[in-house]
Amino acid sequence: MAQSNAPANPLTAGMPKTLLQQPCVLVIFGAAGDLSWRKLLPAVYNLNVDGLLPSNFAVVGFGVGSQGEPDEWIRNRARDGIQHFSRQPLDESHWADFARALFYVEGSFADAHAYQQLKAKLEAVDQQFGVPGARIFYLAVPPNAAGVCVDHLKDVGMVADAEEPVAFTRVIVEKPIGHDLDSAREIIRVVGKVFAENQTYRIDHYLGKETVQNLLVIRFANSIFEPLWNQKYIDHVQITVAEEEGLTHRDPDTGAVTGSRIGYYEEVGALRDMVQNHMLQVLCITAMEPPWSLDPDIVRDAKMGVLRCLHPMTPEDVDRSVVRAQYIGGEVHGEEVPSYRHEVRDYFAGRKQPIPADSTTETFVAMRLFIDNWRWAGVPFYLRTGKRLPKRASEVAIQFRDVPQVLFNAHPDVPLEPTVLSLRVQPEEGLSLRIVSKLPGPKVRLFPVKLEFNYSAGFGGETPEAYERLLLDVMAGDATLFMRRDAVEAAWQFVMPMIERWAQSRTRFLPEYRAGTWGPLEADKLIAADGRQWRTL
Amino acid sequence: MTATELPLRDVERELARERARVKPPDGPPTLLACMSNLIVFCNGSEQAEKLSKELPAIVALHPARVLLVIAEPGPPDKDVRAGIEVWCKEGENQTRICTEEIALRAQGACVAHLPFAVRELLMGDLPTNLWWTAPQPPPLAGPMLADLTEHVQQVIFDSHGWTEPHRGVAMAAAWLEHFERGPQEGGWRVASDLNWRRLKYWRRLLAQAFDPALVPGALESIREVLVEHGPHAVTQAWQLVGWLASRLHWKVQTAKVQPGVEFRWQVATPQGKVAVCVHRLPDGPAEVRHVRIACSLDGKPGAVDVSVQDDRRLAATLNGSGRATRTLTVPPSSIADLVARQLSDRERDPVFRESMAVAQVFAQSAMH
Repeated sequence: MAQSNAPANPLTAGMPKTLLQQPCVLVIFGAAGDLSWRKLLPAVYNLNVDGLLPSNFAVVGFGVGSQGEPDEWIRNRARDGIQHFSRQPLDESHWADFARALFYVEGSFADAHAYQQLKAKLEAVDQQFGVPGARIFYLAVPPNAAGVCVDHLKDVGMVADAEEPVAFTRVIVEKPIGHDLDSAREIIRVVGKVFAENQTYRIDHYLGKETVQNLLVIRFANSIFEPLWNQKYIDHVQITVAEEEGLTHRDPDTGAVTGSRIGYYEEVGALRDMVQNHMLQVLCITAMEPPWSLDPDIVRDAKMGVLRCLHPMTPEDVDRSVVRAQYIGGEVHGEEVPSYRHEVRDYFAGRKQPIPADSTTETFVAMRLFIDNWRWAGVPFYLRTGKRLPKRASEVAIQFRDVPQVLFNAHPDVPLEPTVLSLRVQPEEGLSLRIVSKLPGPKVRLFPVKLEFNYSAGFGGETPEAYERLLLDVMAGDATLFMRRDAVEAAWQFVMPMIERWAQSRTRFLPEYRAGTWGPLEADKLIAADGRQWRTL
Repeated sequence: MTATELPLRDVERELARERARVKPPDGPPTLLACMSNLIVFCNGSEQAEKLSKELPAIVALHPARVLLVIAEPGPPDKDVRAGIEVWCKEGENQTRICTEEIALRAQGACVAHLPFAVRELLMGDLPTNLWWTAPQPPPLAGPMLADLTEHVQQVIFDSHGWTEPHRGVAMAAAWLEHFERGPQEGGWRVASDLNWRRLKYWRRLLAQAFDPALVPGALESIREVLVEHGPHAVTQAWQLVGWLASRLHWKVQTAKVQPGVEFRWQVATPQGKVAVCVHRLPDGPAEVRHVRIACSLDGKPGAVDVSVQDDRRLAATLNGSGRATRTLTVPPSSIADLVARQLSDRERDPVFRESMAVAQVFAQSAMH
């Protein structure tokens, strides 16, 4: 904890740790980008509306791309982002309060002079807002730019000692952290040269989602689940992250292209984009041993324990247990959508850039993996994620073992449905438990019923966005929901055999699935070979 | 809502009918959202009518079965009268998500039957809360409060509107301890004051303004505390003073009262003596408006002034230090917001209890 050296304050007794932030300035590198516009600035606005920001706080954006007067430009940009994406509508009186603390410094990440300007701006903001030099640097930049940014920060003397309690500096590193194990280690190394581990917050926004955090509560605050949470009672686990979107965004009315992630995604693919980070993190929380305290490092040790026990894959295992695929043209919401390759061609042609030879970037991955420890020995974990699937749906589903084949399961007229606990991450956060019940009537007929809990209906109110929670945690110096360097490396280590095997194969065509379906036949065969099937979401 | 009054025995059946009635044809079954039971006690129809307007906003934030208990003066009724209302909103896939209100009315001696009606209408396996909206402080409320709290886990009250604030505060700490101990071994009960919740942002900003990491020695050097409040907000001011005194281990030594204007105390601190004054402003909103704490800042005499800036923000100015003013956004909180959020906060708050214990000493010294 970065604040451990701070003198005790008797007036903070009983106050939640997340509300005990020091005054600070959030500096967003790449503030002109999409992440800042869609997520970060609306998140900070919502925290402001909810009165959760520290007294004396400001946001300074840094990067290129502003037009006109920089402060005015970022304020307009933020206003637009809030109007489009904020959880709470723009309220003029709050907006005025928020906007007065929003600034922008135009400059290239590689330009040493721009950092001098940034430094001068931050000192002026400190003076204006009474901030004692505390900084949170949010690196919303491409991975290869991280090193340049932190080196320049160090060169101009903007990085404080790791144990400094008041004028602290912390850095938030966005995914993707690297392209493979070596590049991840390089990013960790270059950031680590400047910032100590206790100053570094590697963000995975999935960990800020309420349902993901609720996994811990479900497991460890209810007496009925944890005793069953092992190979003796669990048949298998399915983790799904399904997205209906492709890589090109279109205006629903005009059909015009409004944005594209092809440029990023073509170099990344589903394995790096979803599995290596989000899905393995969710897997860790699902499968970890009970931590003995909620201290950040103890929880992160428990998660690391899962990554250490992942059964490493040989090239043959990759062939047998991992399926990658790419969508072809299909139909989503009643409208025809093009293939991924078509989108790639359009994207590069539109930018007058060389059109790559037919892309083999995977838009779908399914895999079976095992965790080699006492709790999970022999229990398959099935992971699947893809673009252009029929709907947006993410969940963790725990399927329990069948009951013995006596009584109702001896000679059932219809196969007895297994008990399934499903924790939905999105879009409707909640959980359900499928059990079997008797249908009313003289005959003993069994029927599956779903006990359902929906967050928004059950608890009322609105669920904060993941970025809101995570930003607050950084301000309070709480790293529980952030990835430690060993976890990042271990996750890369696990997926590297897949990356290497696919690179060796030099295939020109991946298995295909029609947009708007649940993936390729090969994925169905993967799970069917074990006598199981993918859940219908 | 059923326009007519119902016999108690028909309430559950009518609620089920009402839920079925709002289900769209061929739509999914109506979903009943319910995190808690919320018993709302009020004295008389006028207050009940006012509170009824807040209830939909409360259950929108914290879905609950609401039992609106209305005790009216007058000749005794024969029976408790009941009425129901079902509020629905549309969720995903046309699902109607509903919450329920049951109004229970009784007049005169029949009021004593209200707790019996409440018992039979509580939903099992859910936390039960009582929102005590009557102006009598809970320590002075008598058997009705005791009966209604028999099965509750939380009583929510608001010292803001107390008819006898001095006596209420003077008895609050003992009552809190007694209440939270509960009637049964192992039971869990908590009492929460909405006024304390309103002070949250004041406490947070003061804590940040006096952070020893930023202004070392300031807390230890406090010489004077002045709390100014609008009419009818004396309990809030006492709570704030009680909080400061309990956190900083101050002991009341002497008290001086100027009725209707101000209270002055001298307190002993580990470092010496502090003069504390709670001053009533002649007009303005019924809340704490300004706090001035004289102390040393950066080794020089100074003061921290905290005041309401524009109804959206609190501002803390560190006079004499040359430091910038610190501000904190205060989201507007309606009574419905406060109650709904309190319903989800079921933890005991030892800081509140300790502050009330000290506030009790302040109040008792002033009454003597």
